[in-house]
Amino acid sequence: MTTYMQADTLKGHLDALLLATLESGPRHGYAIIDALKSASDGQIDLPSGTIYPALHRLERAGLIASSWSTSSGRRRRTYELTAAGRRALGAERAAWREFSDTVTALLEPRPWPATA
Amino acid sequence: MCGAIRDELRDGLLEAERAYRAAGLSGERAAAAAVADFGEPGTVAAAFAPELAARDARRVALALLRTGPLIGLMWGLAALASGMAVGHAPPWRWPVPGIHLAFPLIAAAIATSGIAGALTIAATGRLGARRHLTRRPARLASTAATTIAASALTCDLALLALLITSAATASGSRAWLPATVAATASLTRLALAARAGRRLVATRARLR
Repeated sequence: MTTYMQADTLKGHLDALLLATLESGPRHGYAIIDALKSASDGQIDLPSGTIYPALHRLERAGLIASSWSTSSGRRRRTYELTAAGRRALGAERAAWREFSDTVTALLEPRPWPATA
Repeated sequence: MCGAIRDELRDGLLEAERAYRAAGLSGERAAAAAVADFGEPGTVAAAFAPELAARDARRVALALLRTGPLIGLMWGLAALASGMAVGHAPPWRWPVPGIHLAFPLIAAAIATSGIAGALTIAATGRLGARRHLTRRPARLASTAATTIAASALTCDLALLALLITSAATASGSRAWLPATVAATASLTRLALAARAGRRLVATRARLR
């Protein structure tokens, strides 16, 4: 059964996911949305219109920077990680691994200490 | 919604449509799929609301804070040109009850603007943007910017009241040109601050 991750499930992790899509290089808005969708095998399928305000907030936070260009006669905004964004991504990644390892270990079947 | 955001959303929609066409969908179905992926207008508007509210609050706050010293300078020059400091009775001796309260009122409004300005800048800057609960900084910024608009209204009304009282009661000549320029500037800012204040209150109410 395929479970699509909804916005509520991703709350608090979307920033890190967006930063991760830019780690390999600059992308424009739709390419970021497409990368999230493809890399998660379609499990992360948020309304694309809601990704743009998150990108704008990350830019205001100084974690990404944007530049405008023209492509096929259209104005296109491309985002890239800043040095602060790269550091924030590293920190988010480390925090997630720690959290994930702890929860995974706890969820494994194991003998739990007996209650008093 | 500003032109840059519209351009970006348009580019995203057209890219999505192009991708669906490349995957084999017909023009009409590709466009429909791209629009469906984009999300319901209400959902997208709600996602943009905190960001747009923060931008508007910052813009209003900075505009009002920047015009404050300029308007203060205009009124100061008008007072000096009228010889108010030396040639006329000071305002607290004017025979209008309570008019002397205009000065502490203006001082309090300026101090309030300073504090609210610092809050707006903090909530709409990098610090506010890094918070996961993005609606809180946007609400705070809208409230702080509304406070600045109210403080500007207070200052301008108090200054205009001082001018009217001075014209009606104090003796001696007036330098009407600088006084008219200062009063016009205050009236203009008063109208703009009132409009911005109403908009900020409405925006804040929409940030649920």
